Amino acid sequence: MQAVFIVFNQANTERVEYLLDLLEIRGYSWWSDVKGRGSVNGEPRMGTHTWPEMNSAVLTIIPSEKVDPLLEKVKKLDEINLDVGVRAFVWEVVKSY
Amino acid sequence: MSIYKTAVNKPITTVMIFTAIVVMGLYSLTRIPIDLYPELDPPFLSVITTYPGANATDIEQNVTKILEDALNSVDKLKEITSTSSDNLSIITLEFDWEANLDEATNDIRDVIDRTYQFLPEDVERPTIFKFNTNMMPIVFYAVTAKESYPGIERILDEKLINPLNRIEGVGSVGMMGAPKRIVYVEVDPQRLDAYNMSIEQLGAVISAENMNLPSGSIKMGLMDYQLRVQGEFKESAELNHLVVGNFNGKPIYLRDIADVDDREKDISQDEKINGETGLRFFVMKQSGANTVQVAREVQAMLKDLKKTLPPDIEINLILDTSHFIKGSINNLSSTLLYALFFVVLVVLFFLGRWRATFIIVLTIPISLIVSFIYLFVSGNSINVISLTSLSIAIGMVVDDAIVVLENITRHIERGSSPREAAVYATNEVWQSVIITTLVIVAVFFPLTLVGGLTGVMFKQLGWIVTITVITSTFAAITLTPMMAAQLLRLRPVKADRKKSLYERTIEPLLAWLENVYTGTLRWMLKYKAMILIVALLLFGSSLALLKFIGTDFMPQTDESSITLNAELQTGTRVEETMKVARKIESFVFEEFPEIQILATSAGSDDEGSMFSLFQTSGSNVINMTMRLKNPDERAEDVWQVAARLREKIDVIPEIVVYDISTTSGFGGMTGNTVNVEIYGYNIDKTNLIAKNLADRFETIPGAVDVQISRKADKPELQVILDREKIAGHGLNTANVSSQIRNRVSGLTAAMFREEGNEFDIRIRLKEEYRNSITDLENISIVNQMGQRIKLKEIGEVVEYFSPPSIQHKKKERLVTVMVKPENVSLGELANSINASVSEVEVPDDVKIVVGGAFKDQQESFMDLGLLLLLSIVLVFIVMASQFESFIMPFVIMFSIPFAFSGVFYALILTNTTLSIIAGLGAVLLIGIVVKNGIVLIDYINLMRDRDNRLEDAIIMAGKSRLRPVLMTAFTTTLGMLPLALSSGEGSEIWSPMGISVIGGLLFSTLITLVLIPILYAMMAKTGQRDKTGRLRAKFTELE
Repeated sequence: MQAVFIVFNQANTERVEYLLDLLEIRGYSWWSDVKGRGSVNGEPRMGTHTWPEMNSAVLTIIPSEKVDPLLEKVKKLDEINLDVGVRAFVWEVVKSY
Repeated sequence: MSIYKTAVNKPITTVMIFTAIVVMGLYSLTRIPIDLYPELDPPFLSVITTYPGANATDIEQNVTKILEDALNSVDKLKEITSTSSDNLSIITLEFDWEANLDEATNDIRDVIDRTYQFLPEDVERPTIFKFNTNMMPIVFYAVTAKESYPGIERILDEKLINPLNRIEGVGSVGMMGAPKRIVYVEVDPQRLDAYNMSIEQLGAVISAENMNLPSGSIKMGLMDYQLRVQGEFKESAELNHLVVGNFNGKPIYLRDIADVDDREKDISQDEKINGETGLRFFVMKQSGANTVQVAREVQAMLKDLKKTLPPDIEINLILDTSHFIKGSINNLSSTLLYALFFVVLVVLFFLGRWRATFIIVLTIPISLIVSFIYLFVSGNSINVISLTSLSIAIGMVVDDAIVVLENITRHIERGSSPREAAVYATNEVWQSVIITTLVIVAVFFPLTLVGGLTGVMFKQLGWIVTITVITSTFAAITLTPMMAAQLLRLRPVKADRKKSLYERTIEPLLAWLENVYTGTLRWMLKYKAMILIVALLLFGSSLALLKFIGTDFMPQTDESSITLNAELQTGTRVEETMKVARKIESFVFEEFPEIQILATSAGSDDEGSMFSLFQTSGSNVINMTMRLKNPDERAEDVWQVAARLREKIDVIPEIVVYDISTTSGFGGMTGNTVNVEIYGYNIDKTNLIAKNLADRFETIPGAVDVQISRKADKPELQVILDREKIAGHGLNTANVSSQIRNRVSGLTAAMFREEGNEFDIRIRLKEEYRNSITDLENISIVNQMGQRIKLKEIGEVVEYFSPPSIQHKKKERLVTVMVKPENVSLGELANSINASVSEVEVPDDVKIVVGGAFKDQQESFMDLGLLLLLSIVLVFIVMASQFESFIMPFVIMFSIPFAFSGVFYALILTNTTLSIIAGLGAVLLIGIVVKNGIVLIDYINLMRDRDNRLEDAIIMAGKSRLRPVLMTAFTTTLGMLPLALSSGEGSEIWSPMGISVIGGLLFSTLITLVLIPILYAMMAKTGQRDKTGRLRAKFTELE
């Protein structure tokens, strides 16, 4: 089991939802209106007058074999337009109940 | 859930809501009456009191003064004026425009009740008269006839007036100058004396003979018969054979001592239409009725009714107020369509995409249609003001939609699905869209709060723009995202795709424009101080030019109608007045082919119609109404024709004063005169000063129609009785005066009835026995004992002069000298008159005040100035809170004066005067200028907050905001262009507004693009980076 944290521009909401369905990922936790900015050159998403856009984030715990297809899809999504922005981060789930 | 998200998710509901709005708007449109101006209820009430037999001075002292003193306490009274003339006192009370006239009427009634007992005994109860614009006739017709002329009153009454009265919306139909039939019995006084009879006796006999009397019923056999004595005359000739008495056993017939003459009443008023005998009739509409519709129906019905009239009767239209209204409204409507077309064109030019253009343009009809609902609900009409308001709004309603759509497009082009793009893009901009709308509302809403005449005129403008702009914002954040989600598609970018025509032509052009602008901006940022000085010089020079701009209250309009009001020597008999009238007519027919119809009325109707309230009348007065061809069918405008007419009339020696006016209908409200009011009790003294001033004014260039309100003293004949002598003959003043009246004016003995109509039978002396002082002195007065006493034995007849009327204002006697401007503006004329007045020496007890339309103008400009201030304050409030800064609003505010410079330059270049309408254009500029300023500054702020250097931020913002600013400027300018250029009927009213807006906007757009960035660079030196610095200073402990 691995945890995948996807944080993305709100404008990608529908695509991310579709992506999870496509890969038959049922369980996730979802945060709407998440602030943030990219480490390299990612535009800040602050929901302010200066930076009006906002991100959303989803955390899903999936079997390890699903992680790579998911990251592949996320990469495809990002490549549609790099300015919009989507990132995924993976880490191990040590325990769960 | 946000409103735009709901709208995008429920497209059908959204469409339905807007369909409902449109349907209601269109329904309202069919119900709204059409008129020239918003309905004005002028706040005037008159108190009319008659006191038979009293002359002007008596009336003034015993009636007017008492009533004035009492009425002065009425609430909300602005000014009290009065005219005391023979037999009649008219007190006019002017209230504030906001006053409730019903309440005022009640107050006045109370005052009259309290005061009535203090008035002389014979005074009739004062009546309250409420003037209403609906009382102005909407159509005037001239009727000419040949053979049918004597009986025309009856023919018209039955066949024309009654059917016309049945039209819905017609208030009343009246006739002027119809000949009246009277049976005159003209007596030879010598024969009367010889047979020892009197006029009163003749009257008694005639009235006793002209009688039908039911005398009971008779039962005869099986029947019950009604018994009647039938004595009424069947025809007037029967009167001749009437036995009026006996002399030496022989009967005296009426024909022996008198001539019976069944004919038209003696002329006291003469009506001629195009020089032919005729009369006029007019139609007044009911309150709230649609002028255009009523006029149309009257015309249509007349066409049918004409067929039923005798063939020699001709009916011609003299004045149709609906004609001008229709012309103006049609002109404005087509202007509106042009504006719509231009706006679509501009949007398409800048966006280059059909679908986007369609989505944006859709907000125009929706926003405009909502204003119809407002008009309908508030009971207003479609008029010049409301249509002009729509033309103003049309350029502004697309702005919000453009901002929203641009952001949506940006998101779609970045790859979002249209639906998501619509929601999130709208989320990003909806607040700033609402703020810019608030700015516009801050400018226009105060218009609804202005008082006075200006307020009444511009309330609609304020409401309409406020409502349409709010609607457009609402549509921009609901309908626009919804439509974008439905209609917009991401254009797949193919490398080998052929570029469209737009991308090959206009896009490079716009890109080039952006480059030129940013280049210039970069250059200018180096020479900030110099640019600022140049700008200030431009502003200063425009202020210097201001004194060359004339001012007017309202622009004058060419309504194709001229009215002439000329007075001859007071007391001139009507026959002489008619001769002069014929003279004027003859040269009008020869030398003024522009004049289509000419209706002349000379003298006055002695029975006094309601019209005598509004016009001067008298046997020495000529009134002429002329209708000109349509403006596009003649070479000269109405003022040129009027000027030529003045030249001709100047040389007629009989005419003492005259007045030519070129306005009709509403013109009465906004008369264009400068009035010099001379207050003072002494009539001779003030007369002298008035004459002196009038003579001086005549020499002022541009001053025409100089008139003195107090008419020259009128000659009167007075019978002065010797009380001792009349008492000795057993007579008193009452019976002597009634006997004189019966002999001169005539005794109405009975009514002659024919086919249901009644005509007076009037007995009086033959004319040759009552047309000189000697004749009058020879009149026999009969006393109780039957003795005949000549008038000269008991009194004398003397000629004397009396003032025909005395006017008061603020309870003081005054004379007004009225002057009209020709080829100069009202303000200029007022200035030269003021100068001229100050040269005249005035005694201590006389006061001179300059007023009239000039005063209204000043008051209105004052209102407008106040409005300007209010708007600026409100705009400042909105902006200060928007930017959370005091400096930014100042940067933007600084550009407002330059907008006015543009207005002044435009007015000078086009030689237009500064009127209320042009001033209004200037006010609305504030909204547009400020809006542009906000768009630009907001973006500069944004760029700085994103960590750009000040100069870079300015350049970036300039580049990005050039298109929206140009778009607003072009949509509004092109929307206004048809207004400014239109030349049809009524265009004089609004073209100044178009001119001032276009001039101001072009100039201020330049200012927005040049001066605001420079000022920003000078004033807003601290930015985001300084904030970071401050932050670092604050948290030093973490270092």
